[in-house]
Amino acid sequence: MEHGSLTDSKNSTFCLMDEDHTLANSVRFLLNKDPRVEFCGYSIPHPSENKVNIRVQTTGDSAKDVLKESFQDLIFLCQHVRSTFEKSVADFKSTQSRQEMNGA
Amino acid sequence: MDSQPEPVSYICGDCGAENTLKPGDVIQCRECGYRILYKKRTRRIVQYEAR
Amino acid sequence: MSETASLNMQDIPQGQLPEHIELQRARVFCKADAPVHTEDVEYSGAYAAVGFDNSLQVDDFRRDFRVEIKNLSMDDIEFDMIGIDASLANAFRRILIAEVPTMAIEKVLIVNNTSVMADEILSHRLGLLPIEADPRLFDFLSENDTPNERNTIVFKMEVHCKKRGPRLTVKSDQLKWLPNGSELLMESPNPSTKPRSFTSFSCSQASLPQISGRPIGMKHLDIIITQLGPGQSIELEAHAVKGTGKVHAKWSPVGTTWYRMLPEVKLLKEVRGNDAEKLVKKCPRKVFDVEDVGHAMKKAVVSRPRDCTLCRECISGAGEENIALRRVRDHFIFTVESTGALPAEVLFTEAVKILEEKCERVISELS
Repeated sequence: MEHGSLTDSKNSTFCLMDEDHTLANSVRFLLNKDPRVEFCGYSIPHPSENKVNIRVQTTGDSAKDVLKESFQDLIFLCQHVRSTFEKSVADFKSTQSRQEMNGA
Repeated sequence: MDSQPEPVSYICGDCGAENTLKPGDVIQCRECGYRILYKKRTRRIVQYEAR
Repeated sequence: MSETASLNMQDIPQGQLPEHIELQRARVFCKADAPVHTEDVEYSGAYAAVGFDNSLQVDDFRRDFRVEIKNLSMDDIEFDMIGIDASLANAFRRILIAEVPTMAIEKVLIVNNTSVMADEILSHRLGLLPIEADPRLFDFLSENDTPNERNTIVFKMEVHCKKRGPRLTVKSDQLKWLPNGSELLMESPNPSTKPRSFTSFSCSQASLPQISGRPIGMKHLDIIITQLGPGQSIELEAHAVKGTGKVHAKWSPVGTTWYRMLPEVKLLKEVRGNDAEKLVKKCPRKVFDVEDVGHAMKKAVVSRPRDCTLCRECISGAGEENIALRRVRDHFIFTVESTGALPAEVLFTEAVKILEEKCERVISELS
Protein backbone atom coordinates (compact mmCIF):
# COMPACT_ATOMS: atom_id res chain seq x y z
CA MET A 1 0.00 0.00 0.00
CA GLU A 2 1.28 3.41 -0.82
CA HIS A 3 0.57 6.46 1.29
CA GLY A 4 1.48 9.45 -0.80
CA SER A 5 0.03 12.73 -1.88
CA LEU A 6 -1.87 13.10 -5.14
CA THR A 7 0.12 16.08 -6.32
CA ASP A 8 3.58 15.02 -5.25
CA SER A 9 4.63 11.63 -6.56
CA LYS A 10 8.24 12.19 -5.55
CA ASN A 11 7.78 11.42 -1.86
CA SER A 12 5.73 8.64 -0.37
CA THR A 13 5.65 5.94 2.26
CA PHE A 14 5.01 2.32 1.32
CA CYS A 15 3.53 -0.08 3.83
CA LEU A 16 4.46 -3.72 3.14
CA MET A 17 2.61 -6.53 4.88
CA ASP A 18 4.21 -9.81 5.98
CA GLU A 19 7.73 -8.43 5.67
CA ASP A 20 10.49 -7.74 8.14
CA HIS A 21 14.09 -6.59 8.29
CA THR A 22 15.18 -9.26 5.83
CA LEU A 23 13.71 -7.58 2.77
CA ALA A 24 13.43 -4.03 4.09
CA ASN A 25 17.09 -3.55 4.98
CA SER A 26 18.25 -4.95 1.64
CA VAL A 27 15.98 -2.74 -0.41
CA ARG A 28 16.81 0.27 1.74
CA PHE A 29 20.49 -0.29 0.96
CA LEU A 30 19.78 -0.44 -2.77
CA LEU A 31 17.55 2.63 -2.64
CA ASN A 32 20.28 4.60 -0.92
CA LYS A 33 22.72 3.68 -3.64
CA ASP A 34 20.35 5.00 -6.33
CA PRO A 35 21.43 8.52 -7.34
CA ARG A 36 17.81 9.58 -7.84
CA VAL A 37 16.94 9.06 -4.21
CA GLU A 38 17.20 11.99 -1.85
CA PHE A 39 16.13 10.15 1.30
CA CYS A 40 15.08 6.65 2.18
CA GLY A 41 14.54 4.66 5.31
CA TYR A 42 12.40 1.94 6.81
CA SER A 43 10.75 1.37 10.15
CA ILE A 44 8.79 -1.38 11.82
CA PRO A 45 5.87 0.19 13.71
CA HIS A 46 5.53 -2.70 16.16
CA PRO A 47 7.57 -5.89 16.37
CA SER A 48 4.52 -8.06 16.94
CA GLU A 49 2.96 -6.97 13.66
CA ASN A 50 4.55 -8.02 10.38
CA LYS A 51 4.44 -4.58 8.80
CA VAL A 52 7.23 -2.47 7.37
CA ASN A 53 7.04 1.20 6.38
CA ILE A 54 9.47 2.25 3.66
CA ARG A 55 9.84 5.99 3.07
CA VAL A 56 11.25 7.16 -0.28
CA GLN A 57 11.92 10.74 -1.31
CA THR A 58 13.37 11.28 -4.77
CA THR A 59 14.88 14.17 -6.66
CA GLY A 60 12.21 14.14 -9.36
CA ASP A 61 11.07 10.69 -10.42
CA SER A 62 8.00 8.98 -9.05
CA ALA A 63 8.82 7.25 -5.80
CA LYS A 64 6.87 4.15 -6.82
CA ASP A 65 8.92 3.72 -9.99
CA VAL A 66 12.19 4.17 -8.14
CA LEU A 67 11.12 1.58 -5.58
CA LYS A 68 10.08 -0.87 -8.26
CA GLU A 69 13.38 -0.46 -10.03
CA SER A 70 15.26 -1.04 -6.80
CA PHE A 71 13.41 -4.29 -6.28
CA GLN A 72 14.26 -5.31 -9.82
CA ASP A 73 17.90 -4.47 -9.18
CA LEU A 74 17.74 -6.59 -6.05
CA ILE A 75 16.39 -9.50 -8.08
CA PHE A 76 19.23 -9.05 -10.52
CA LEU A 77 21.81 -8.96 -7.72
CA CYS A 78 20.37 -12.16 -6.26
CA GLN A 79 20.45 -13.90 -9.60
CA HIS A 80 24.06 -12.91 -10.06
CA VAL A 81 24.96 -14.05 -6.56
CA ARG A 82 23.29 -17.38 -7.22
CA SER A 83 25.01 -18.00 -10.55
CA THR A 84 28.42 -16.99 -9.21
CA PHE A 85 27.96 -19.22 -6.18
CA GLU A 86 26.84 -22.22 -8.18
CA LYS A 87 29.76 -21.83 -10.55
CA SER A 88 32.21 -21.63 -7.65
CA VAL A 89 30.72 -24.74 -6.07
CA ALA A 90 30.99 -26.64 -9.35
CA ASP A 91 34.61 -25.52 -9.79
CA PHE A 92 35.48 -26.47 -6.23
CA LYS A 93 33.89 -29.89 -6.55
CA SER A 94 35.70 -30.62 -9.78
CA THR A 95 39.08 -29.60 -8.36
CA GLN A 96 38.34 -31.65 -5.26
CA SER A 97 37.53 -34.76 -7.27
CA ARG A 98 40.60 -34.20 -9.44
CA GLN A 99 42.77 -34.00 -6.34
CA GLU A 100 41.23 -37.17 -4.98
CA MET A 101 41.91 -38.98 -8.23
CA ASN A 102 45.52 -37.82 -8.27
CA GLY A 103 46.06 -38.72 -4.65
CA ALA A 104 44.45 -42.15 -4.79
CA MET B 1 -27.65 -46.64 30.57
CA ASP B 2 -26.33 -50.09 31.40
CA SER B 3 -23.62 -50.22 33.97
CA GLN B 4 -20.33 -51.31 32.35
CA PRO B 5 -21.05 -54.49 30.39
CA GLU B 6 -17.26 -55.03 30.23
CA PRO B 7 -15.49 -55.58 33.50
CA VAL B 8 -12.67 -53.03 33.86
CA SER B 9 -9.16 -54.22 34.60
CA TYR B 10 -6.95 -52.40 37.07
CA ILE B 11 -3.26 -52.75 37.77
CA CYS B 12 -1.97 -53.55 41.24
CA GLY B 13 0.37 -50.97 42.69
CA ASP B 14 2.67 -53.57 44.21
CA CYS B 15 2.99 -56.61 41.98
CA GLY B 16 1.69 -55.14 38.71
CA ALA B 17 -0.83 -57.90 38.12
CA GLU B 18 -4.04 -57.18 36.27
CA ASN B 19 -7.25 -57.49 38.24
CA THR B 20 -10.69 -57.26 36.72
CA LEU B 21 -13.26 -55.76 39.04
CA LYS B 22 -17.00 -55.27 38.86
CA PRO B 23 -18.84 -52.46 40.63
CA GLY B 24 -19.34 -53.50 44.21
CA ASP B 25 -16.21 -55.70 44.44
CA VAL B 26 -13.77 -55.30 47.31
CA ILE B 27 -10.81 -53.22 46.21
CA GLN B 28 -7.92 -55.58 46.69
CA CYS B 29 -5.35 -57.24 44.48
CA ARG B 30 -6.21 -60.91 43.93
CA GLU B 31 -2.60 -62.03 44.09
CA CYS B 32 -0.89 -60.04 46.79
CA GLY B 33 -3.65 -58.31 48.67
CA TYR B 34 -2.41 -54.75 48.08
CA ARG B 35 -5.27 -52.31 48.31
CA ILE B 36 -4.10 -49.63 45.88
CA LEU B 37 -5.09 -50.30 42.28
CA TYR B 38 -4.36 -48.04 39.28
CA LYS B 39 -6.57 -47.62 36.27
CA LYS B 40 -5.12 -48.57 32.89
CA ARG B 41 -4.25 -46.04 30.17
CA THR B 42 -7.07 -45.28 27.73
CA ARG B 43 -7.29 -47.25 24.50
CA ARG B 44 -8.23 -44.16 22.51
CA ILE B 45 -5.63 -42.66 20.20
CA VAL B 46 -4.46 -39.32 21.59
CA GLN B 47 -3.06 -36.73 19.21
CA TYR B 48 -0.33 -34.30 20.20
CA GLU B 49 1.35 -31.43 18.38
CA ALA B 50 5.10 -31.90 18.39
CA ARG B 51 5.79 -28.37 19.66
CA MET C 1 45.81 33.98 -7.59
CA SER C 2 43.01 31.84 -8.97
CA GLU C 3 40.45 30.65 -6.53
CA THR C 4 40.71 27.02 -5.75
CA ALA C 5 37.82 25.14 -4.25
CA SER C 6 38.67 23.91 -0.80
CA LEU C 7 38.09 20.34 -1.81
CA ASN C 8 40.05 20.53 -5.02
CA MET C 9 43.05 18.48 -4.07
CA GLN C 10 45.63 18.43 -6.80
CA ASP C 11 47.42 15.32 -5.76
CA ILE C 12 44.30 13.15 -5.89
CA PRO C 13 42.84 12.44 -9.32
CA GLN C 14 39.23 13.44 -9.80
CA GLY C 15 36.86 10.57 -9.13
CA GLN C 16 38.89 8.96 -6.36
CA LEU C 17 38.79 9.44 -2.65
CA PRO C 18 41.78 10.50 -0.59
CA GLU C 19 43.40 7.50 1.03
CA HIS C 20 42.26 8.05 4.60
CA ILE C 21 38.64 8.58 3.54
CA GLU C 22 38.77 5.50 1.35
CA LEU C 23 40.06 3.56 4.36
CA GLN C 24 37.17 4.79 6.46
CA ARG C 25 34.71 3.83 3.75
CA ALA C 26 36.06 0.36 3.15
CA ARG C 27 37.20 -0.77 6.59
CA VAL C 28 35.84 -1.04 10.12
CA PHE C 29 38.53 0.04 12.60
CA CYS C 30 38.67 -2.13 15.71
CA LYS C 31 40.20 -0.04 18.44
CA ALA C 32 41.05 -1.31 21.90
CA ASP C 33 37.78 -0.26 23.46
CA ALA C 34 35.25 -0.36 20.64
CA PRO C 35 35.01 -0.59 16.86
CA VAL C 36 34.92 2.68 14.97
CA HIS C 37 33.45 3.62 11.56
CA THR C 38 31.01 0.72 11.73
CA GLU C 39 28.29 2.41 9.71
CA ASP C 40 28.22 1.80 6.00
CA VAL C 41 28.38 4.96 3.94
CA GLU C 42 25.50 4.09 1.66
CA TYR C 43 24.16 7.38 0.40
CA SER C 44 24.95 7.69 -3.27
CA GLY C 45 25.81 11.35 -3.01
CA ALA C 46 27.92 11.10 0.13
CA TYR C 47 31.15 12.07 -1.54
CA ALA C 48 29.63 14.28 -4.23
CA ALA C 49 31.71 17.29 -3.21
CA VAL C 50 34.88 15.38 -4.07
CA GLY C 51 33.47 14.04 -7.27
CA PHE C 52 33.41 10.40 -6.15
CA ASP C 53 30.31 8.48 -7.19
CA ASN C 54 29.17 6.28 -4.31
CA SER C 55 26.16 4.84 -6.15
CA LEU C 56 25.80 1.17 -6.95
CA GLN C 57 26.14 0.43 -10.62
CA VAL C 58 24.91 -3.02 -11.43
CA ASP C 59 27.75 -3.57 -13.88
CA ASP C 60 30.31 -2.68 -11.23
CA PHE C 61 28.71 -5.22 -8.94
CA ARG C 62 28.81 -7.85 -11.64
CA ARG C 63 32.47 -7.18 -12.21
CA ASP C 64 33.57 -7.01 -8.60
CA PHE C 65 31.49 -9.71 -6.94
CA ARG C 66 33.36 -12.96 -6.24
CA VAL C 67 32.64 -16.16 -4.34
CA GLU C 68 35.46 -18.37 -3.09
CA ILE C 69 34.62 -21.73 -1.54
CA LYS C 70 37.02 -22.65 1.24
CA ASN C 71 35.50 -25.85 2.68
CA LEU C 72 32.75 -28.04 1.37
CA SER C 73 31.43 -31.23 2.91
CA MET C 74 28.12 -33.09 2.95
CA ASP C 75 26.52 -30.88 5.54
CA ASP C 76 28.81 -27.87 5.97
CA ILE C 77 30.14 -25.17 3.73
CA GLU C 78 32.48 -22.25 4.37
CA PHE C 79 32.85 -19.70 1.62
CA ASP C 80 33.85 -16.09 1.07
CA MET C 81 31.59 -13.50 -0.55
CA ILE C 82 33.50 -10.47 -1.73
CA GLY C 83 31.91 -7.29 -3.00
CA ILE C 84 28.53 -7.59 -1.29
CA ASP C 85 27.01 -5.47 1.44
CA ALA C 86 26.17 -6.43 5.01
CA SER C 87 22.44 -5.93 4.48
CA LEU C 88 22.33 -8.59 1.77
CA ALA C 89 24.56 -10.99 3.72
CA ASN C 90 22.30 -10.57 6.73
CA ALA C 91 19.22 -11.10 4.59
CA PHE C 92 20.63 -14.42 3.37
CA ARG C 93 21.47 -15.44 6.93
CA ARG C 94 17.98 -14.58 8.19
CA ILE C 95 16.33 -16.46 5.33
CA LEU C 96 18.53 -19.51 5.89
CA ILE C 97 17.53 -19.70 9.53
CA ALA C 98 13.85 -18.85 9.30
CA GLU C 99 12.39 -19.13 5.83
CA VAL C 100 13.84 -22.11 3.98
CA PRO C 101 11.28 -24.89 4.47
CA THR C 102 12.01 -28.39 5.81
CA MET C 103 10.06 -31.46 6.87
CA ALA C 104 9.58 -32.13 10.56
CA ILE C 105 7.20 -34.19 12.69
CA GLU C 106 4.13 -32.19 13.61
CA LYS C 107 1.36 -34.61 14.66
CA VAL C 108 2.02 -37.51 16.99
CA LEU C 109 -0.75 -40.09 17.45
CA ILE C 110 -0.03 -42.11 20.55
CA VAL C 111 -1.72 -45.49 20.81
CA ASN C 112 0.07 -46.62 23.93
CA ASN C 113 2.75 -45.12 26.15
CA THR C 114 3.51 -46.85 29.41
CA SER C 115 6.99 -45.34 29.75
CA VAL C 116 7.96 -42.80 32.39
CA MET C 117 8.20 -40.00 29.82
CA ALA C 118 4.99 -37.98 29.47
CA ASP C 119 3.20 -38.04 26.10
CA GLU C 120 3.75 -34.39 25.30
CA ILE C 121 7.44 -34.47 26.21
CA LEU C 122 7.90 -37.47 23.95
CA SER C 123 6.05 -35.69 21.15
CA HIS C 124 8.18 -32.58 21.59
CA ARG C 125 11.37 -34.65 21.29
CA LEU C 126 10.07 -36.38 18.17
CA GLY C 127 9.37 -33.01 16.58
CA LEU C 128 12.99 -31.97 16.90
CA LEU C 129 14.41 -34.99 15.07
CA PRO C 130 15.93 -34.10 11.66
CA ILE C 131 14.31 -35.96 8.77
CA GLU C 132 16.14 -36.89 5.59
CA ALA C 133 13.60 -35.82 2.99
CA ASP C 134 13.91 -33.20 0.27
CA PRO C 135 11.33 -30.55 1.22
CA ARG C 136 11.14 -29.33 -2.37
CA LEU C 137 9.31 -32.52 -3.32
CA PHE C 138 6.47 -31.83 -0.89
CA ASP C 139 3.71 -29.29 -0.63
CA PHE C 140 2.66 -27.28 2.37
CA LEU C 141 -0.25 -28.70 4.34
CA SER C 142 -2.78 -26.09 5.33
CA GLU C 143 -5.72 -26.51 7.67
CA ASN C 144 -8.25 -27.35 4.98
CA ASP C 145 -6.14 -29.88 3.12
CA THR C 146 -6.35 -33.61 3.67
CA PRO C 147 -3.04 -35.24 4.49
CA ASN C 148 -1.94 -37.19 1.42
CA GLU C 149 1.25 -38.53 -0.08
CA ARG C 150 2.20 -35.09 -1.44
CA ASN C 151 2.27 -33.28 1.87
CA THR C 152 2.79 -35.78 4.69
CA ILE C 153 5.40 -38.32 5.69
CA VAL C 154 4.25 -41.00 8.13
CA PHE C 155 6.52 -42.77 10.62
CA LYS C 156 5.69 -45.52 13.07
CA MET C 157 7.36 -46.51 16.31
CA GLU C 158 6.59 -49.71 18.20
CA VAL C 159 8.92 -50.66 21.02
CA HIS C 160 8.48 -52.92 23.99
CA CYS C 161 10.93 -53.66 26.75
CA LYS C 162 10.75 -57.25 27.95
CA LYS C 163 9.85 -57.96 31.55
CA ARG C 164 12.80 -59.32 33.50
CA GLY C 165 15.10 -57.84 30.84
CA PRO C 166 17.53 -54.93 30.95
CA ARG C 167 16.51 -51.33 30.30
CA LEU C 168 15.97 -50.49 26.65
CA THR C 169 17.22 -47.26 25.07
CA VAL C 170 14.89 -46.10 22.31
CA LYS C 171 16.91 -44.51 19.51
CA SER C 172 15.72 -42.73 16.38
CA ASP C 173 16.27 -45.83 14.24
CA GLN C 174 13.06 -47.23 15.78
CA LEU C 175 11.03 -44.77 13.71
CA LYS C 176 10.07 -46.71 10.59
CA TRP C 177 8.86 -44.98 7.46
CA LEU C 178 5.39 -46.01 6.26
CA PRO C 179 5.28 -45.21 2.55
CA ASN C 180 1.62 -46.21 2.34
CA GLY C 181 0.32 -43.76 4.88
CA SER C 182 -1.23 -44.03 8.27
CA GLU C 183 -2.29 -47.45 9.58
CA LEU C 184 -4.40 -46.10 12.39
CA LEU C 185 -8.12 -45.64 12.03
CA MET C 186 -10.11 -42.69 13.26
CA GLU C 187 -13.01 -43.27 15.59
CA SER C 188 -16.14 -42.77 13.58
CA PRO C 189 -19.26 -41.58 15.42
CA ASN C 190 -21.41 -43.90 13.29
CA PRO C 191 -20.42 -47.53 13.93
CA SER C 192 -21.80 -48.82 10.64
CA THR C 193 -19.68 -46.64 8.31
CA LYS C 194 -16.21 -47.82 7.36
CA PRO C 195 -13.63 -46.19 9.65
CA ARG C 196 -11.34 -43.70 7.89
CA SER C 197 -7.61 -43.52 8.23
CA PHE C 198 -5.88 -40.38 9.44
CA THR C 199 -4.25 -39.89 6.05
CA SER C 200 -5.52 -40.58 2.55
CA PHE C 201 -2.65 -41.76 0.43
CA SER C 202 -3.65 -42.56 -3.12
CA CYS C 203 -0.41 -44.32 -3.93
CA SER C 204 2.69 -45.47 -2.11
CA GLN C 205 5.29 -42.77 -1.60
CA ALA C 206 8.02 -45.24 -2.45
CA SER C 207 6.63 -45.50 -5.96
CA LEU C 208 6.97 -41.76 -6.64
CA PRO C 209 9.93 -41.37 -8.98
CA GLN C 210 11.62 -38.53 -7.15
CA ILE C 211 11.55 -40.33 -3.82
CA SER C 212 12.49 -43.82 -4.96
CA GLY C 213 16.07 -42.73 -5.64
CA ARG C 214 16.61 -41.37 -2.14
CA PRO C 215 14.50 -43.20 0.45
CA ILE C 216 13.04 -41.21 3.29
CA GLY C 217 14.10 -41.81 6.87
CA MET C 218 15.70 -40.23 9.88
CA LYS C 219 18.92 -38.38 9.15
CA HIS C 220 20.73 -39.73 12.23
CA LEU C 221 19.90 -43.19 13.52
CA ASP C 222 21.52 -42.91 16.91
CA ILE C 223 19.63 -40.07 18.57
CA ILE C 224 18.32 -41.22 21.94
CA ILE C 225 14.60 -40.52 22.23
CA THR C 226 13.76 -42.12 25.55
CA GLN C 227 14.44 -45.13 27.74
CA LEU C 228 12.08 -47.97 28.68
CA GLY C 229 12.06 -50.02 31.84
CA PRO C 230 11.00 -53.69 31.95
CA GLY C 231 7.42 -54.19 30.87
CA GLN C 232 7.00 -50.71 29.38
CA SER C 233 6.11 -50.08 25.78
CA ILE C 234 5.49 -47.25 23.33
CA GLU C 235 3.34 -47.45 20.23
CA LEU C 236 2.81 -44.33 18.16
CA GLU C 237 2.56 -42.85 14.71
CA ALA C 238 4.20 -39.57 13.73
CA HIS C 239 3.18 -37.40 10.78
CA ALA C 240 5.76 -35.01 9.34
CA VAL C 241 4.79 -31.93 7.34
CA LYS C 242 6.57 -29.07 5.61
CA GLY C 243 7.12 -25.85 7.53
CA THR C 244 9.49 -22.92 8.04
CA GLY C 245 11.70 -21.94 10.95
CA LYS C 246 9.60 -18.80 11.46
CA VAL C 247 6.77 -20.88 12.87
CA HIS C 248 8.83 -23.28 15.00
CA ALA C 249 12.57 -23.85 15.28
CA LYS C 250 12.21 -27.56 14.50
CA TRP C 251 11.67 -26.59 10.85
CA SER C 252 14.94 -24.65 10.60
CA PRO C 253 17.18 -26.38 8.02
CA VAL C 254 20.45 -25.17 9.53
CA GLY C 255 22.03 -26.10 12.83
CA THR C 256 23.16 -22.56 12.57
CA THR C 257 24.65 -20.24 10.00
CA TRP C 258 26.81 -17.21 10.58
CA TYR C 259 29.10 -14.77 8.82
CA ARG C 260 32.00 -12.60 9.86
CA MET C 261 33.89 -9.91 8.04
CA LEU C 262 37.43 -10.67 6.96
CA PRO C 263 39.89 -9.41 9.58
CA GLU C 264 42.84 -7.31 8.45
CA VAL C 265 45.90 -7.02 10.64
CA LYS C 266 48.50 -4.46 9.65
CA LEU C 267 51.76 -3.68 11.37
CA LEU C 268 52.11 0.08 11.45
CA LYS C 269 55.68 -0.03 12.70
CA GLU C 270 58.35 -2.64 12.39
CA VAL C 271 58.44 -4.92 15.38
CA ARG C 272 61.85 -6.45 15.90
CA GLY C 273 63.83 -8.81 18.05
CA ASN C 274 62.42 -9.60 21.47
CA ASP C 275 59.30 -7.56 20.85
CA ALA C 276 58.60 -9.71 17.83
CA GLU C 277 58.89 -12.89 19.89
CA LYS C 278 56.59 -11.45 22.55
CA LEU C 279 54.03 -10.47 19.94
CA VAL C 280 54.00 -13.94 18.45
CA LYS C 281 53.48 -15.47 21.89
CA LYS C 282 50.67 -13.03 22.77
CA CYS C 283 48.41 -14.00 19.94
CA PRO C 284 46.29 -17.06 20.89
CA ARG C 285 45.51 -17.83 17.26
CA LYS C 286 49.10 -17.60 15.95
CA VAL C 287 48.37 -14.81 13.52
CA PHE C 288 51.94 -13.51 13.66
CA ASP C 289 55.19 -15.19 12.76
CA VAL C 290 58.78 -14.29 13.18
CA GLU C 291 60.89 -13.91 10.08
CA ASP C 292 64.64 -13.80 9.89
CA VAL C 293 65.82 -10.82 7.88
CA GLY C 294 69.49 -11.52 8.06
CA HIS C 295 72.15 -9.91 10.32
CA ALA C 296 70.61 -12.07 13.09
CA MET C 297 67.62 -9.73 13.05
CA LYS C 298 64.12 -11.01 13.57
CA LYS C 299 61.00 -9.24 12.40
CA ALA C 300 57.33 -9.92 13.06
CA VAL C 301 55.06 -10.52 10.08
CA VAL C 302 51.36 -11.16 9.77
CA SER C 303 51.00 -14.65 8.37
CA ARG C 304 47.41 -15.75 9.06
CA PRO C 305 45.16 -12.72 9.36
CA ARG C 306 42.12 -14.81 8.51
CA ASP C 307 42.38 -16.69 11.79
CA CYS C 308 42.25 -13.53 13.85
CA THR C 309 39.30 -13.45 16.24
CA LEU C 310 39.91 -9.80 17.19
CA CYS C 311 40.59 -10.66 20.81
CA ARG C 312 42.74 -7.51 20.87
CA GLU C 313 45.46 -9.17 22.95
CA CYS C 314 48.10 -7.76 20.61
CA ILE C 315 46.98 -4.17 21.07
CA SER C 316 46.38 -4.32 24.81
CA GLY C 317 48.94 -2.49 26.82
CA ALA C 318 51.28 -0.50 24.66
CA GLY C 319 50.67 -2.35 21.44
CA GLU C 320 48.05 0.00 19.98
CA GLU C 321 50.51 2.15 18.06
CA ASN C 322 52.13 -0.79 16.34
CA ILE C 323 49.19 -2.75 15.08
CA ALA C 324 46.02 -1.77 13.26
CA LEU C 325 43.14 -4.21 13.56
CA ARG C 326 40.50 -3.73 10.93
CA ARG C 327 37.73 -5.56 9.17
CA VAL C 328 37.12 -5.44 5.43
CA ARG C 329 33.61 -4.13 5.02
CA ASP C 330 32.54 -6.00 1.91
CA HIS C 331 34.27 -9.36 2.43
CA PHE C 332 32.16 -11.91 4.32
CA ILE C 333 33.22 -15.34 5.50
CA PHE C 334 29.97 -17.28 5.48
CA THR C 335 29.53 -20.61 7.25
CA VAL C 336 26.43 -22.76 6.83
CA GLU C 337 25.93 -25.92 8.91
CA SER C 338 23.01 -27.91 7.59
CA THR C 339 21.03 -30.38 9.74
CA GLY C 340 21.02 -32.76 6.79
CA ALA C 341 17.75 -32.45 4.89
CA LEU C 342 19.46 -30.52 2.10
CA PRO C 343 23.18 -30.18 1.36
CA ALA C 344 24.62 -26.89 2.55
CA GLU C 345 25.27 -25.43 -0.91
CA VAL C 346 21.72 -26.20 -2.02
CA LEU C 347 20.43 -24.45 1.09
CA PHE C 348 22.21 -21.22 0.21
CA THR C 349 20.88 -21.32 -3.35
CA GLU C 350 17.37 -21.86 -2.01
CA ALA C 351 17.75 -18.90 0.34
CA VAL C 352 18.75 -16.60 -2.53
CA LYS C 353 15.78 -17.90 -4.54
CA ILE C 354 13.45 -17.08 -1.65
CA LEU C 355 14.74 -13.49 -1.53
CA GLU C 356 14.07 -13.17 -5.27
CA GLU C 357 10.54 -14.50 -4.77
CA LYS C 358 9.90 -11.94 -2.03
CA CYS C 359 10.97 -9.12 -4.37
CA GLU C 360 8.77 -10.42 -7.18
CA ARG C 361 5.82 -10.62 -4.86
CA VAL C 362 6.25 -7.00 -3.82
CA ILE C 363 6.74 -5.88 -7.41
CA SER C 364 3.49 -7.53 -8.47
CA GLU C 365 1.74 -5.86 -5.55
CA LEU C 366 3.10 -2.48 -6.51
CA SER C 367 2.02 -2.77 -10.12
